[in-house]
Amino acid sequence: MSKNFRVSADIGGTFTDIVYQDVETGRCGAAKVLSTPDNPALAVLKGIDQVLGADGTLAFFVHGTTVGLNALLTRKGSKVALLTNENFRDIYTIQGNNRGEIFSIQWDKPEPLTPLEHTYTVAGRIAASGEELDPLRLSDLDTLVDACKREGYEAIAISLLFSFNNAAHEIAVRDYLAARLPDVQLVMSHEVSPEWREFERTSTTVTDAYLAPVVRKYIATLQNEMGDRLPDGGSLHVMESNGGVMTAATATQTPLQTLLSGPVGGAIGGKSLSKATGRGNLICVDMGGTSFDASLVIDGLPSTSNEALLEGLPLQMSVVDIHVIGAGGGSIAWKEAGAARVGPQSAGSKPGPVCYGLGGTEPVVSDANLVLGRLDGANFGGGEMILDRDAAAAALAELGDDFDMNAEEMAQGVIDIVNAKMADAIRTITIQRGIDPREFSLVAFGGAGPAQAAALAQELEIKEVIIPVHPGAFSAWGMLQTDVKHDFKETLYSFWDQIDVATLDTAFAGLEQRGRTFLGDEGITGDRVAFERAIDFRYFGQEYVLTIPIAEGAINMDKIRADFDAAYLRQYGHNSPENRVEMANVRLAALGRLERPANAPPLPVAARPERSRDVWFAGTAHPTRIIDRNALDDGDAVQGPAIIEEVTSTTLLPPGWTAQLIEGGHMTLTKEDAA
Amino acid sequence: MSRADPITTEVVRNFVISCAEDMNASLWRSAHSAIIYEGKDSAVALMDEHGNMLGQSTGVPLFIGAIDVCVRHVKDYYGDDIHQGDIFIMNDSYMQGTHLHDVTAIGPIFHDGELVGFGAARAHWNDIGAMDPGSTMSSQNIYQEGLRLGPTRIMSQGKPIREWYDHLKLNTRLEGATIGDLGAQVAAIRTGETRLGQLLSKIGSATYRASCQNIFEQARRMDKAAIAALPNGTWSREGYLDNDGVGDQPVKVALTLTVKDEDLIIDLTGTSGPVAGSINCGASQTESLLRLAYKTMISPEGAITGGAFETMHVVMPEECLFNAGEPSACEWYFTGLGLLADLFISCLSEAMPERSTAAHYGDSMVVGFFSVDPKRGQWISIEPTAGGWGGRADSDGESALINLVNGGFRNIPAEVMETKFPVRLEEFSMRPDSAGPGKNRGGLGVVRRYKMLEDNFGAIWFERSNTPAWGLNGGQEGQGPEINLTFPDGTVDHPLKMRASALPEGTIVECKTGGGGGNGDPMQRAFADVARDVRRGLVSPEAAKTYYGVVIQPDGTVDQSASVIR
Repeated sequence: MSKNFRVSADIGGTFTDIVYQDVETGRCGAAKVLSTPDNPALAVLKGIDQVLGADGTLAFFVHGTTVGLNALLTRKGSKVALLTNENFRDIYTIQGNNRGEIFSIQWDKPEPLTPLEHTYTVAGRIAASGEELDPLRLSDLDTLVDACKREGYEAIAISLLFSFNNAAHEIAVRDYLAARLPDVQLVMSHEVSPEWREFERTSTTVTDAYLAPVVRKYIATLQNEMGDRLPDGGSLHVMESNGGVMTAATATQTPLQTLLSGPVGGAIGGKSLSKATGRGNLICVDMGGTSFDASLVIDGLPSTSNEALLEGLPLQMSVVDIHVIGAGGGSIAWKEAGAARVGPQSAGSKPGPVCYGLGGTEPVVSDANLVLGRLDGANFGGGEMILDRDAAAAALAELGDDFDMNAEEMAQGVIDIVNAKMADAIRTITIQRGIDPREFSLVAFGGAGPAQAAALAQELEIKEVIIPVHPGAFSAWGMLQTDVKHDFKETLYSFWDQIDVATLDTAFAGLEQRGRTFLGDEGITGDRVAFERAIDFRYFGQEYVLTIPIAEGAINMDKIRADFDAAYLRQYGHNSPENRVEMANVRLAALGRLERPANAPPLPVAARPERSRDVWFAGTAHPTRIIDRNALDDGDAVQGPAIIEEVTSTTLLPPGWTAQLIEGGHMTLTKEDAA
Repeated sequence: MSRADPITTEVVRNFVISCAEDMNASLWRSAHSAIIYEGKDSAVALMDEHGNMLGQSTGVPLFIGAIDVCVRHVKDYYGDDIHQGDIFIMNDSYMQGTHLHDVTAIGPIFHDGELVGFGAARAHWNDIGAMDPGSTMSSQNIYQEGLRLGPTRIMSQGKPIREWYDHLKLNTRLEGATIGDLGAQVAAIRTGETRLGQLLSKIGSATYRASCQNIFEQARRMDKAAIAALPNGTWSREGYLDNDGVGDQPVKVALTLTVKDEDLIIDLTGTSGPVAGSINCGASQTESLLRLAYKTMISPEGAITGGAFETMHVVMPEECLFNAGEPSACEWYFTGLGLLADLFISCLSEAMPERSTAAHYGDSMVVGFFSVDPKRGQWISIEPTAGGWGGRADSDGESALINLVNGGFRNIPAEVMETKFPVRLEEFSMRPDSAGPGKNRGGLGVVRRYKMLEDNFGAIWFERSNTPAWGLNGGQEGQGPEINLTFPDGTVDHPLKMRASALPEGTIVECKTGGGGGNGDPMQRAFADVARDVRRGLVSPEAAKTYYGVVIQPDGTVDQSASVIR
C-alpha cells in the first residue's frame, strides 16, 4: 500500500526546500532542490518525486512562496489605478512626510506602486461619525472608466476616507465600476483593511491590488502543473504572513497575505520547537548565504505586529516579526582609513564570495569560513559547487597585508567582527523589548546558521543553542506545524470608560460571523473552529497601541484594563494605571484546526562515515572530527571541536562545547562553564 | 600605552554605535511622555573620560552635536568630585545651546574603580515651568522660559538627592511625567554603563582605550581626506528671517565658508545680533546644526563616532543671534537654523558640485489647535508641516517632506484628527507650482486646509516668506509659505505667525508650505519631465510655458515647435 504524506515546500530564489511527514508515524524528512523560478512547480515536483517516489501520495500540501514579495521588490506587479477622495489625491504619494534617513538631504521617499497620473478622485465625503457629509458624485468616475481601456489597468484600488466606519461610498463606486469594467479587479479598502489612517490603509489596498493578478496567475499555474499530485484533486495551502495557512482560493482573494509567506515558517517552527522542548523563550536566527534574520518566541508565542513595512511602504496586516539583521555570509570585508570593516555591503549571490569563482574579488564572510576549514569546499550545497579555497585565501591575505595579518588571521578577524556585530544587533532587538537575551535559548537554522551559532551564543552569553531537525529546511518544517488562521478587524475608537460591553459584543459577533463564513467556505466547521479576540489600547494622548488579548467568555472590562496596564509595564518598564485609556481597534483571529500527527524524530537515513580535517579555532588549527548527524542517537553527546554534517546544513562545534540529541531529534549545543 | 589590533578596534567601534542605540532604546522604552517615545525628541551619547564622543544615537538630527559639551561643563564644574553612580543634569541654553525644554542627564561610567567614560541622555521635557504651559511663543528673555540649570548633581553615588527632585517637581506643571522622563534618562545611562562593563570585562580598559584612540584617528583621517578633496576657496551667502516672533523687522543671517587644505572655516560675521524674540540660539547648538549640514553633504551614511568634525571651525561674533547669551530668549532657537543650514549647504555646493543641493522650505511650520475650556474637555493637536526640498545636481528635490532639523515626524492622518478633535481636514495635497523651477526642480510644498467644527483656539509659526528656498546654478526659487484664515463672518486674514487666538466654529485655516529651490536652468529641463509634471498636476501648463518654455497641448503632449529647443 502506498504511503500518505503531509508535504511542505519553501520556494526560495535559489533553493526549494521540501519537508515531508509520514501521516502514520509523524516522522519527517527533508530535501533541497534547485529552484525553477520560471515555473516554480517543476522544482516542487522534482523534490517530491525525489523523496516520495512515484507511490507516495500527498494528504496535505502547503507551501511558502516569494512570488508576491518578488513582484513587489522588482516592481513587476500589475498595473493599478487608485481612486481616492477629491482634495486627497496625493495622500499615497505624500506618504507620512517623515524622512527615512535623517542625515541625508538626498533621500527620496519609497517609489509608490502606482504613480500620481494613475490616481483618480471622486467628490463625496463621509465624516468621522460615519455620516455622509457630501453625496458621492459618481459621474466623476467616468474619467477613470474612459482611461481604463487606454491605460490597460488590471486592477483598481478604491480607498475613501472613513470607509471603515461607513463603506457605502466605496461599495457604490465598486458597483458603478464593476458594471462598466467587468474584467478589472476591484479592491476596496474597507475589505482589505477596515482600519483608520488613510495613507496606511491606501498603501495596503494598493499593494493588494498590485499583487492580486500576479498571485492569482501563480496559484492557477501551480495547481495546473501539480495536477493530480495534489491531495483531494487539487487542494493547495499557502503560508500566510500571520503565521497561519490558507487555501489557494483564500490566497487568491487576499494576495497580500502571501507576502511574508516564506520566512514566517521559521518563526512558526520556533513556536512548535518551544512547545516540544519545553523552552518558552527563544531567539531564532535564520542565516542563509546572503541573509540573516531574527525572530523571537516569548512565553511560547512568536512575537507579532499589526503593521509591516515593505520597501518602505506600510501595510496594515498581522505579521510575525522578522528582523533583518544583515547580509550574513555575503558581507564584504574591506578597509577604510586604516580600519578593517565588514559589511554592510553584501556580495549577494552574484558575484558572490571569491571562492565561488563567479567574479567576486572582495573577500566575504563565507570566504573566511572556508579558509578556516569550517566549510567543506569539495562538498558545498550537496556537491553542486566546488569552492576555491586558494582564491579566498589570496583575497584575505591581500586585505590582511595592511594589518600585518596572514590569510588565516584575517579570516578569523572577519569572523570575529561579524559575530560581534550580529550579536550587537540581536541584543538591540531584545533591549527594545525589555528582554535579557541570557534567559533565552538560541535557535539557529538556515544553511549557514548552525555554523555561526556557538560563537553568537558566546557573544550574547546565551547558555544553550538548539539546532532543530532539518535546520537548512526549517522554514518548510515550520509550515507543517501550523493551522488555518485569518485575521479580521474593525476600528472602534472610544475611551475605555465610555464604551459598554454590548457595543463590544456586537462588534466581536460581527467579526466572528465573518470568520465563521470564511472558514466554512474553506470546509472548516464545528469544533475545528476557534476564535482569538484582542483590542488595541493606549493611554490617552499616545499615538501607538498595544494589542491586548481578550480571554474567552464574557468581557470583563476591569480585567482587560488591568491586563493593559500590566502589558504596558512589561513592554515599557513602567505604566500609568491612573491615566485614561483609549481603544482604537477590535481584532479577531479565526482559527481552523488542521489534522496532523504528533511530531516524531526524523526518518532514519544512512550516515556517511566519520572523517577528519584541520579546522581553525582562535588562531590555531585543530584536527577536527567530521560527523554525520544521522550517526547520532538520542542522548549521544559529542565533544568539540567537531563538525556535524547533514544534508541541509553544517553545525560547527568549537572546543569546549558539547552537542547532544534531545527529544524530537533536535540537538543542543552547550558550553562547559569555565568557572 | 597598550596597542589594539584592527580587529579589536573594529569590534569596539561597532560596539559603541550599538551601545548608543541600546541606550536610546532604553530611553524610548521607559519614557513617560509621547514626545520622547513617539516623537523621538531625544539623543544619547557614549563618550570617553574626557568627554570625546564615541557613539551616538539620535531621534532628532539636530542633536548630532552639543552633548559632549555637557560633559565638559560637568567636569569643569565638579573636577575630581565625580563618583560612580552620580547623575548630573543641565539645560542652560547658553551652555548647551538649545531651549530649556531639552534637559541633558550625564553620568560617569566606572570600571573596577576607574573612570572610563561618560554616558549622556538628552530628552525634551514638555513643561519646564515657563510663563505659558508647554512652549511659549511670547518670551523675550530666558527668565520667562522656565527653570534654568547649569551642571547640577541630582543623584549621588546611586542615591537621588531628595531636595533636587523636589525642586524639579515644584518647577513644572507636569510633575509625574517629568520625573518619569528623568528616570528614563537615568535608565539609558545605566544601560550604557552595563554594556560597556560587559565589553571591558572581556577586553580590559587598556585595550579599550587604545581602540578608542584608533577610532578617533580613523575618523580624523576620513574627515581630513574629505575636506582635502574639496577645492580651496571662499563662498558667502545671506538671507533674512521674516522676523523674531515679536517684532516685524527681518533678521539677517550671513555665512562665509572657507575651505583651506584640510580645514573648513565657517564664519557667521554679518549675522544679526541678539533679538528681542525667542529665536536666539546658543553657540553649541549652532555648531550642532552646522555639523548636521556638513554630515548631510559629506558623509550621510556613516555612523557618528569619535573624532568627527575636528576639521570644522566655526567663527561667531560675540554679539550674534547664533551665539546667545544672557538674557536672550531661546524657546524657538531652531527657527533660524533651517536658513543657516541652507546657506551653508549652498556654499558647500559650490565646492561639491556633484552633491549640489538647493535650499529647502526651511522651518518646522508649526500649526496647533486646542481647547482650554475645562467644561468641554481640554485637548491639543500640534504638528510641524512638510514642504519642498531643494533640487539636486542629478535629481529633483523631494516633495512634502519634513524639514532638515526634524526627522521622524509624521503628519496626523485626517481619520485620526477628525476622530479625536473637533477639526476637519478638508484638503491635504501637493501645492501645484510651488516648486522652484530648474533643470532639476525643487520639491513641492503642501496644502493643508482645516475647518473648525467647534469654537477652538489656534496658533501658527510659519517662516521663510522673506527668503524662500532659492535655486542654484540657474535654478529659481520656490514659492514661500502662505496662510489663509477665513472667519465665519467672511473676514480674511493671512498671519504667518499667530499666538493663541480664538477660531470660532466654521473658521477655515488654509496652510500652504513653500517649495524647494530649483537646480540648473529650467530651460534645460527635458520635455518629457515637464510634460510628466503637467500630467501629474504638479506644474500648470501656464507655468510650463513661462518657466520652462514648454508648450503643453490639451492632450498632454509637448508642442515641440512652439517650445524653446533644448
